[in-house]
Amino acid sequence: MPQLLSAKEQSLFRTVVRNYEDKQYKKGIKAADQILKKNPKHGDTLAMKALIMNSQGKTDEAFALAKVALQCDMKSHVCWHVYGLLYRAVKNFEEAIKAYKFALRLEPDSQQIQRDLALLQVQMRDYQGYLVSRKAMLTARSGMRQNWTALAVAHHLIGDFAEAEGVLTTYEETLKNPPAKTDFENSEAVMYKNTLIAEQGNYQKALDHLESAGKHNLDRLAVLELRATYLAKLGRKDQAEKAYRALIDRNSEHKEYYDDLIEVMGIASTDHKAMKAIYDEYAEKYPRCDAARRLPLNFLEGDEFRDVAEKYIHRMLDKGVPSTFANLKHLYASSSKKETLPALVRQYIDSGKSEANEEPKRHGDTSKGASAAYYFLAQHYSYHLSRDLDKAMEYIDKAIELEPESVDFYMTKARIWKHYGNTQKASETMEHARTLDTRDRHINTKTAKYQLRNNETEAAIKTMGLFTRAETPGGPLADLHDMQCVWYLTEDGQSHVRQGHIGLALKRFTAIYNIFDVWQEDQFDFHSFSLRKGQIRAYIDMIKWEDRLREHPFYSRAALSAIEVYLKMHDKPITNGANGTADVNGEDAAERKRAAKKARKEAQKAEREALAKKNEPNKSTKEGDNDPKKKDDDPDGAKLAATTEPINDAMKFLTPLLQFSPKSIDAQLAGFEVYIRRKKYILALRCLLAAAGLDREHSKVHQQIIRFKLAVDKDLETLAPQVAEVIKSEFNLLPASVSLTQYNDEYLSKNKDCARRTLAALSARKLLSPESSPNFEKDAMATLKLPGTTFEEAKEGLELLLSWNSGQVDAFRSSAAEKWPKATIFASPSA
Amino acid sequence: MDIRLLHPSDIPHVQHANITNLPENYFMKYYLYHALSWPQLSYVAVDVSRPKKSPYDYPRIVGYVLAKMEEDPPDGVQHGHITSLSVMRTHRRLGIAEKLMRQSQRAMVETFGAQYVSLHVRVSNNAALRLYRDTLGFKNEKIESKYYADGEDAYNMKLDLGFVREQVMDEQDEEAEDADEGEPVGQLGKQEEGDAGKDKEKKRKVRVGRGLGVGDLVEKNESQKV
Ligand SMILES: CC(C)(COP(=O)(O)OP(=O)(O)OC[C@H]1O[C@@H](n2cnc3c(N)ncnc32)[C@H](O)[C@@H]1OP(=O)(O)O)[C@@H](O)C(=O)NCCC(=O)NCCS
Repeated sequence: MPQLLSAKEQSLFRTVVRNYEDKQYKKGIKAADQILKKNPKHGDTLAMKALIMNSQGKTDEAFALAKVALQCDMKSHVCWHVYGLLYRAVKNFEEAIKAYKFALRLEPDSQQIQRDLALLQVQMRDYQGYLVSRKAMLTARSGMRQNWTALAVAHHLIGDFAEAEGVLTTYEETLKNPPAKTDFENSEAVMYKNTLIAEQGNYQKALDHLESAGKHNLDRLAVLELRATYLAKLGRKDQAEKAYRALIDRNSEHKEYYDDLIEVMGIASTDHKAMKAIYDEYAEKYPRCDAARRLPLNFLEGDEFRDVAEKYIHRMLDKGVPSTFANLKHLYASSSKKETLPALVRQYIDSGKSEANEEPKRHGDTSKGASAAYYFLAQHYSYHLSRDLDKAMEYIDKAIELEPESVDFYMTKARIWKHYGNTQKASETMEHARTLDTRDRHINTKTAKYQLRNNETEAAIKTMGLFTRAETPGGPLADLHDMQCVWYLTEDGQSHVRQGHIGLALKRFTAIYNIFDVWQEDQFDFHSFSLRKGQIRAYIDMIKWEDRLREHPFYSRAALSAIEVYLKMHDKPITNGANGTADVNGEDAAERKRAAKKARKEAQKAEREALAKKNEPNKSTKEGDNDPKKKDDDPDGAKLAATTEPINDAMKFLTPLLQFSPKSIDAQLAGFEVYIRRKKYILALRCLLAAAGLDREHSKVHQQIIRFKLAVDKDLETLAPQVAEVIKSEFNLLPASVSLTQYNDEYLSKNKDCARRTLAALSARKLLSPESSPNFEKDAMATLKLPGTTFEEAKEGLELLLSWNSGQVDAFRSSAAEKWPKATIFASPSA
Repeated sequence: MDIRLLHPSDIPHVQHANITNLPENYFMKYYLYHALSWPQLSYVAVDVSRPKKSPYDYPRIVGYVLAKMEEDPPDGVQHGHITSLSVMRTHRRLGIAEKLMRQSQRAMVETFGAQYVSLHVRVSNNAALRLYRDTLGFKNEKIESKYYADGEDAYNMKLDLGFVREQVMDEQDEEAEDADEGEPVGQLGKQEEGDAGKDKEKKRKVRVGRGLGVGDLVEKNESQKV
């Protein structure tokens, strides 16, 4: 039975609520305790106290108290609402929604609860639930435009465009006077409605609407773009042409406008002359326009290409634009253009034209003329489609000779060293470039990256520290976390992987995982903010993007790296890892043993401290601080590294990867590796089939097919009949009448010119017939002799030999070092 | 490089470009706040010719301008503000920054009726100063002492956008003339044509709408009230 409060206590209760809202937590607790002294079972007060404690960072105690509150008063909407808020605070949105729904059942008219529920529903993409909530909210307050717009959004998100449009129209009809042209909210609502009409495929109606209601819309660019699109779709070519021309006049650097213009003009894509004429027209009209000069290079061929390319290159080199090569390298897909471009640059040098340029040179700036031309050629020979690193080095040195202060030139020189496989020289050279312009963060960033690539993690963070905010507690690394500097965390993590620092590596990859959680959570406030602001189209854009947030390569890269680490941990568990040899994996294991011990110790320490704190209330959280920053109890990732279930931990990274990037072959390959170790054969098979669908000849796909067959055959006895049945009917990647050995040999002979595939087949052969080992090693050595082999592939060969504990490791290393004398990775570890 | 509006999906790479190039950095939510409050004002330069490396390849951002309108301007005059502008070193001196700025400035006028645009720049940043002062026509308003975290002073610069307003109005005049000559554009379109002259007048006084307490966005947890 709920307790009732006296009038005085009721007023005290209101004080508690107010204290909470004003973040006066101590006062709030005090007032609550005062009520509770007389009414220890007053549910609402207990609930409010719990809410305040949660804000003080005492989450567990808050939950416990909220439960007591509910036991005291199951029929209180306040208790349920608080329960929901606590769940929301710990991001358990499902439970929060349930609690809000209970609260709402008890208090159907509460705007506040309804609103909180709606926000969570849209956050959780429960669009049907959101629709119900928005309908209720509109009924309660139909005078507010926001509520109409929100209902339209709910219909829209469900995919019901017509219904959404209808809601907006109904609202418009309630308006007595047309809104002012300068009413921004209305202006946006009109454009929103217009896109809803177009989404239904009714372009005529959309055009009519745009030309009437949208005529003087404040979002001019959107009007112009949509109008052009509709006219084009409706086949009204003359008007569409005009519309696209108007867009190019606004922004002559947007390729799509030119493409669309050419299309609506009915110019065939083979009619280069007519196309060229369009671009020429704009190149003349806009002397500073780059696109109109550059885009024709995409379709022109032969002499025509040559003429236009020559003009373009001369213009850029005269001006000394450092990005000339970056702007043109996509043309290298054509082998004749790949020949023509550097030839033009050489001519430019030979003709002495470069000398004629006498603009004064600026400090740290890319220079013009000859040095710019040498710079172009250096980049040309450094590029993977036209690589000749010795020549690249020769040209960059010439450029540097002319301009020893150029940051850009040294940056490229560092890149050339990187392509040589010499991370040491690359890092040193980049550091030199940095000293030439210490105020530019871009070169600073590059230097740190090259240091990480060279495993100088300490130096890298120092370099970064030259630009991070000095006042951030916790130093540069904390600032980089705060500012969500994904590239650094990823590169640092990968650097730690190479150095065998499992804990730190996992720590960084987990940080990226958490950043994505934050990014997902970040949208929450916009569910209400955007409605208030009235920017609906941008909001819908955001929702659509957030829905596929984790397909971002920033996520996949970190996730794949983390999974790789976990797989290694699984394959070499701590207990039997160290086998006396000083190979990389042995070091890993020893390192992890130490880490595990350290983690156990730290856990004990944390427990002791937590106990001590209990006797010292409010010590760790400051009054008024509603987001108490939790101290990181595992700064070096020792706990992460001490896991006994690495494969389970890998699942955390894998699940979003497979969900959001199913078309990434690397994701599917990683999925196979995880599932096969968990003996989840059907899931492993699904990944394998997906990977094979993306690239049947991929070296790892080949290997996995064989490994899958071997694993299934071995476990045949113990497989559940249904599982065996599924595998039988779905595993169709092996030809029926061929043995695995034959199958593998065929792959090998088909791919004997490719080092990576040869290595994959050798590794498979080793699994199939482990006895004949000397042959493997000889064959693996032979891949070094293949003309196309890259040093990255040679590195994989070396790793393969290491994994076999081969006696040929040193021999392999030294012949690789001979072939790539400048690469650091093949230098023997003792040297 | 392609110049176009910034979309929310560009944000991770914009954030990357920012932290690569500049010491003033922001978390993702602050970019979202710009993109969702003034979606017409922020622009990016992207490399569209780069072949995709995977089905999930996002366009690489080589330059961006992140811009906003001043909320509740103290002087009561609507104006824009450049929050951040940078171009990757490998793509500088191509005119990218200039073009990004011009697109943004125009939208400030068209959509939000901005009278001027302001920004801060380090007193030592020659490249940016040349761009703002010589190329774009900004004027030094004042020096803000120790504006930056490392103690460096900032120039507070301003550009009057009157010339953009003129340009926009000229274009609309032309359009209105064109429309008179052109074919009829549907029933309603016809009715509106007569109004074109009047609207031009009104355009001068575009208002942004009421302030919406955006401070709330970053600071306050929306659902804290019971
Ligand atoms: C400032 C910055 C954005 C300029 O970008 P950009 O795309 O290279 O600039 P643009 O090519 O559009 O330059 C336009 C004009 O600005 C001036 N300018 C730009 N960079 C210059 C430099 N390094 N030195 C002298 N003038 C320069 C020139 O007048 C130039 O016109 P021109 O090339 O025809 O001579 C870029 O250097 C940068 O990102 N710097 C680091 C970040 C930064 O400082 N941002 C500004 C913070 S307020």
